[in-house]
Amino acid sequence: MKWVTPKHGFDEVFDARGRARPHYAALISILESFTKEDVERRERLQQLTLRNQGITFTVYGEKDGLERIFPFDFVPRIIPAAEWKGIQDGLIQRITTLNLFLSDVYQDQKCLKDGVIPAELILSRKEYKRALLGLIPPRKIYTHVVGTDIIRDDRGEYLVLEDNCRVPSGVSYVLENRNLLSRVFPEFLGAYPVRPIKDYPTLLLETLRFVAPRRGQNPVVVILSPGIHNSAYFEHSFLAREMGVPLVEGRDLLVEGNHLFMRRTHGKRQVDVIYRRIDDDFLDPLAFRRDSMLGVPGLLNVYREGNVALANAPGAGVADDKSVYAYMPRLIKYYLGEEPLLPQVPTYLGHKKDDFKYIAEHLDRLVVKTTGDAGGYGMLMGPFASAKERESYLAAMRKNPGNYIAQPLVELSTHPTHIGGQFEPRRVDLRPFILYGDRIRVLPGGLTRVALRAGSYVVNSSQGGGSKDTWVLAPRDA
Amino acid sequence: MILSRVADGLYWMGRYLERAENTTRLLLVTEELSTEVLGLDEALARAAWQDLRAIFPGFPESEAPARQLAAFASASLLGLSIDQENRFSVFHSLKKARDNARSVREALTLEVFINLNETYRELEGMSRRHLADPATFRSAMQSTHRGLMSTVGAIEHTLPRDAGWLFLKLGESLERVSRTVIILRTKLPALVSAEPKVDLPLFYSQWRSLLRGLSCLENYRKVFGARLEPIDVLQFLLFDPLSPRSVRYGASAVKEHLDRISSASELSQPARIVGKLAAELSYQGHDLIRDGQILPFLDHVMTELGRAHDALSTVYFGS
Repeated sequence: MKWVTPKHGFDEVFDARGRARPHYAALISILESFTKEDVERRERLQQLTLRNQGITFTVYGEKDGLERIFPFDFVPRIIPAAEWKGIQDGLIQRITTLNLFLSDVYQDQKCLKDGVIPAELILSRKEYKRALLGLIPPRKIYTHVVGTDIIRDDRGEYLVLEDNCRVPSGVSYVLENRNLLSRVFPEFLGAYPVRPIKDYPTLLLETLRFVAPRRGQNPVVVILSPGIHNSAYFEHSFLAREMGVPLVEGRDLLVEGNHLFMRRTHGKRQVDVIYRRIDDDFLDPLAFRRDSMLGVPGLLNVYREGNVALANAPGAGVADDKSVYAYMPRLIKYYLGEEPLLPQVPTYLGHKKDDFKYIAEHLDRLVVKTTGDAGGYGMLMGPFASAKERESYLAAMRKNPGNYIAQPLVELSTHPTHIGGQFEPRRVDLRPFILYGDRIRVLPGGLTRVALRAGSYVVNSSQGGGSKDTWVLAPRDA
Repeated sequence: MILSRVADGLYWMGRYLERAENTTRLLLVTEELSTEVLGLDEALARAAWQDLRAIFPGFPESEAPARQLAAFASASLLGLSIDQENRFSVFHSLKKARDNARSVREALTLEVFINLNETYRELEGMSRRHLADPATFRSAMQSTHRGLMSTVGAIEHTLPRDAGWLFLKLGESLERVSRTVIILRTKLPALVSAEPKVDLPLFYSQWRSLLRGLSCLENYRKVFGARLEPIDVLQFLLFDPLSPRSVRYGASAVKEHLDRISSASELSQPARIVGKLAAELSYQGHDLIRDGQILPFLDHVMTELGRAHDALSTVYFGS
């Protein structure tokens, strides 16, 4: 088997001199024991399994909402115990801060009064829901499930790229990737003390049950999905099956007497907790977007009365705004009195005059993103764009500067990936998942996304990305 | 108890699975009959294809039937197997079954979904050119049929007998008995009147094919022996109490599922409709056949099944 080592940047497996890092040695020797034909046969089996089990996502804009298999690369990413400890502590610090920040923004707004973050930056966001001011969610939790994107720079340092506080997706692929790898390459897992992840659905359910407003009885938890045409529908259905809870759509729910019910064949049943996988704007046509067909009329009133819990809480999206991200180090210090454990990428804010000037002058070196969008949509990769593309992008920016942020292009670490019969370096990121319930739990590992095209920086599934199984090793003496 | 939408999805999944199985089976049987009689009586072979199109009316009406029998047969085969536009094709039914399964996947097991998904993917991968070869066509349809059978097996062996299962089986049983009635209603007029004109072996071929089309040939032989008497075949297909595709058995199966879904104290509207129908079928017999009342009776059964479907949609799915 041939291994192509990268010419520059940080590689997860090979150091600058092209030698394998110690924690990858066992994996490499197992892979070396396979012939090219063995590997190809296993890979075919893997494809077949993905296809037959219907492990897919839906691509928007293609005919009929085409179902695609999320490409899986079988070379696992391995994170040593000590490295993971640093990531985990940093993530706990962040989710704690995010939750305190949201509590503050929707109660006393002290951080705005103290000038930690500009008030207009928060109050002008469409993700900031003025209607929710003063409303305390059950157990004071706003961010029950967070997916934080982490990358590594050219020195191998872990940097936070963004927090996803609305409806982060991908955890089903984390679990399915592990199943798949242990079936197709059972030899791998046996050689390492890999921390298990199978209990995620159980922990998620515990997290959700913890916020049920009716105490002392078995709460009814449901997953609210936009339906079969949503790109993450597989995940909604997967989590419903794994947790053993109903998967509902808006039309299955109704509000009566300020309580929420689901329509069943023989009468209705009260619902206590909604793990909602639809955006705020679509939750309730009476409160937010009036044309929403996905939501439940009157849901927000039930929530306001404290008769149902929503995870994540409505309005939480304001915390993962890309311009709020720039203030995270300050917010961590403000709320916790601590230094940030995980560094992040320097960010220039469109709404600041100086920053905007800098962005405009250095567009060829920066990655520009719109603050509200996700999934790699609406961004400009300055270094790879043509002068003309940059020019028209800049023109759009001038119309609404506050809507943009810019960051230097981070090299991203690479990881050997099986492509065309050999192992080639491809850029990867990492999305760990964090649960906030009776306590904070971080799923060991998370989703490693990989840019399958040579040289590409974009790992999003909607833009030709794939994924890898991600292993966190147990501490040796534990 | 389950969500109305999920009950609805499972019901239609059951119906489409059964329909796909039905179409696959009839395609195979018709192709076989047509091959058998083609050299002897071309009109008979053509009639077999015309019947098939009447049973599964998914072809555009504007389409002129091919003059040449071979072309007509081949268009019928392809149309009802993999044509995506034909709403009675095996592909269409399988796709609908799978779409419904995807929308209620949390109510199913992995085994059920995988079997259905694999069967669908296999058929999806076949091209018209591929299937135009008769031997390939037959083996492909047999493979689809096997896939459907293993899906049904997975349903039988892995699903809990809860409300979801009852709605799935309700869909399956209602589709099954409806298909039997439609097949009989289409085939009987010609069969009954053809008696004196047709050559005797050919005459028996048609009755045998009818039994095979309803998976009943072996079962019939166990009751009446190898001799095919039209009156016995009719008696069997309508009133046999043990054969899963007889009208009587089918109606009782629908009744049983509706009774179990119905709350214990009071029978639902659909349960009453089918209950009456099942009772009629249990007490009817030879005289109906002798008096030539079969066709109106079949129409009556079809009407009642339609009413039952409408009533259960209103009561349970809120539609």
